[in-house]
Amino acid sequence: MKTPAIRISNLTKDFAVGIRGMKLRAVDALSLEVGDNEIFGLLGPNGSGKSTTIKIILGLLEPSTGSCEIYGEPSRRVSARRSVGFLPEAPYFYRYLSGRELVRYYARLCAVPRSEIDWAVDSVIDLVGMSEAAHRRVGTYSKGMLQRIGLAQALVHDPQLVILDEPTAGVDPLGSAAIADIVRELKRRGKTVLLSSHLLAQIEGLCDRVAILHRGQLVKEGRVDDLVEEKDAEALVVQGLTPEGRAAVEATIQAQGGHLARVEKPRLSLDAYFLKEVHEQESAYAAKNKAADESTDGKDGSA
Amino acid sequence: MSAAESFTRVRLIAGTTFLEAVRQKFFNSLLLISVALVASSTFFQQFDFGAGELKFITDFGFGALFFFGSILSITATAQLFFNEMENRTALTMLAKPVYKLEFLAGKFLGAHLLMLCFTLVITLVLSGILYWREAAIVAQLGAEALADGPLIRYGDVFLFGFLQWMKFGILAAITLFVASFSNTNLYTIVVSFFMLIICQLQYIARDAYSGMEAGWERFFVFGLGLIFPNFQLFNVGDQLVFDVEQVLPATVVLRMTAYGLIYTIAFILLAQLNFRRREI
Repeated sequence: MKTPAIRISNLTKDFAVGIRGMKLRAVDALSLEVGDNEIFGLLGPNGSGKSTTIKIILGLLEPSTGSCEIYGEPSRRVSARRSVGFLPEAPYFYRYLSGRELVRYYARLCAVPRSEIDWAVDSVIDLVGMSEAAHRRVGTYSKGMLQRIGLAQALVHDPQLVILDEPTAGVDPLGSAAIADIVRELKRRGKTVLLSSHLLAQIEGLCDRVAILHRGQLVKEGRVDDLVEEKDAEALVVQGLTPEGRAAVEATIQAQGGHLARVEKPRLSLDAYFLKEVHEQESAYAAKNKAADESTDGKDGSA
Repeated sequence: MSAAESFTRVRLIAGTTFLEAVRQKFFNSLLLISVALVASSTFFQQFDFGAGELKFITDFGFGALFFFGSILSITATAQLFFNEMENRTALTMLAKPVYKLEFLAGKFLGAHLLMLCFTLVITLVLSGILYWREAAIVAQLGAEALADGPLIRYGDVFLFGFLQWMKFGILAAITLFVASFSNTNLYTIVVSFFMLIICQLQYIARDAYSGMEAGWERFFVFGLGLIFPNFQLFNVGDQLVFDVEQVLPATVVLRMTAYGLIYTIAFILLAQLNFRRREI
C-alpha cells in the first residue's frame, strides 16, 4: 500500500492562555489521512483548528498528544519539510526584492542545486503566470500577484506535498480561478495538495476529498460528491418542454412510482457567471484591439 | 543536511536581515547622529591644546560608540526579530527545511553585521578627526611633541572598535534571548537595557564576591557574576590608545575575544531553547 502524504493520528493541541495558564484546546483528537496525488480540503469556520493543524503538519508546533507524519516521516523533523511547499494565509515577503529574486532566495534556502536554480525559478514563475511581472519589486504587487508569487516560492524546490492556507482569501474571482487552475495543474503533475479554506464555493469544484473541522474536532470527512449529493434523488435538466409535455412527464413519473419533489430553474453559480462575463468582455476587448492594430498596419502599409 | 547547506542558509538569512536593517530609518538616523556627535567633539572641549585635547576627543568618540552602539544593538536586534514574527516572513521561512537555530543565527549575524558597519564608520570618523587634530598639534608644537613616540596609536583605535563590536555581539545575543520568550518589541527592549545596565555594573558583584566568606551567599553572587558578562572588561580605551608604557598584550585581546564569543554563543543557544517551543 502506498504511504499516505499526510497521516495524522489522534492529534490534540492545547494552548495555555493567560497568566493562570488555562488550557484552550485548538485541535481535539484529530485523525485523518491525505493520500498521494490528492487535492484535499480542510474546511471549517474561523477558529476551527485548521491553521493549528497545518502548523503541526509543518513541524512549527509540537502537538500536545498524537502524531503527524509526512510520507512516513515524523513532521517535527526538519528533513520532512524537504518534500513540503507552503503558502501561508496573506503572505508577506521582503518588499525590496523583485519577484524573481524572492523565488530565487527561497530556492537557495531549500538547497536547490546551483545548476538548476535558474531553470527552477523560471519554470515556477511561468507556472504561476508571473513571468511578465517577475522583475518588479514585490512591494508593487497586488494581493492576487502576492498569492501567485507566494505559490511560486512554495513550489520552487519541487515538493511532493503542497500546503495552501486560505490561498484565495482576499483575492478577486479571477485570481481565485487562476489559483484553482494552478492547483489542478499540480495534481496533473502528480503532486498532493492540502488546502484550507472557509470559501466553500471555491473548494467544491476543486477538491477530491474534504474534511470539515469544528472546534478542533473532525465533523465529516469524505469525497465531495459523496458528502453533498442527495443519494435518493436524481435531476433531469430539460429544455423546450411545453406545459402539456411537463404534465405528461409528471404523470409518467407518478405512474413509475416516483414523486416529483421540486422543479427548479438550473442556474450557474455567481462565480461561474462572473468568470463567463469577464472572459467574454476580455475576448471582445482583445478582438477590438486586434482589429484596430490591423487597421493601423493597413494604413501604414498603404502610406 | 550538510554543514555547507546549513552555512548557506544562515548566510542567506543574515544577508536579508542586514538588508532589512540598513533600510531602516532608525539605523541611518542613529548613524548620522553618532557621526555628527563624534565629528563635533572638537567643538565641545575647552581650548586646551596639547595631549588633553586628543584624550577628550577619544573619550568622546568612544563614549558615543558605546552609547549609540548599545542603543542600536538592542533596538535593531529586537526590531529585526519582531518584524519577521509580526509580518510572518518567519512562518514562510521556517516552513522550509530550515532549523530554528539557523534562523536565530542568521538573525544574529545580520544584526552583528549591521553593528560592524556602525562601529567601522564611527571608528573611521574618530580616527580622521584625531589625525587632523594631531597634525595641528604637531604643526603648532613642532617635532618635540613626538619626542615620546606617536601621540595616538591608530591601530589601537580600531582594536578598541573591534572589542566594542564583540561587546555589541553579546548584547545582540542577550536581546535575541529576551526576544525568544517575549511577546512584544517594547518588553524586549526594556528588559535588554536592564540587562545592559546589570552587565555594566557586574563588576560590583565580583568585588563583593571577593570579599565574602564561603557560603550560599558567596555561591549566589558567584553565580550572578557568571551568568551576566562583565562589560567593564571591554573598557580598555585609555590603555589602548594612550598608554605608551603598557601596551595591551595580544593574549589579553584574544582572551577578551574568546570571552565575548563564549557568552554570545551561550545566549544564542539559550534563545534557541525558548524559540523551539514558541508558536510562530
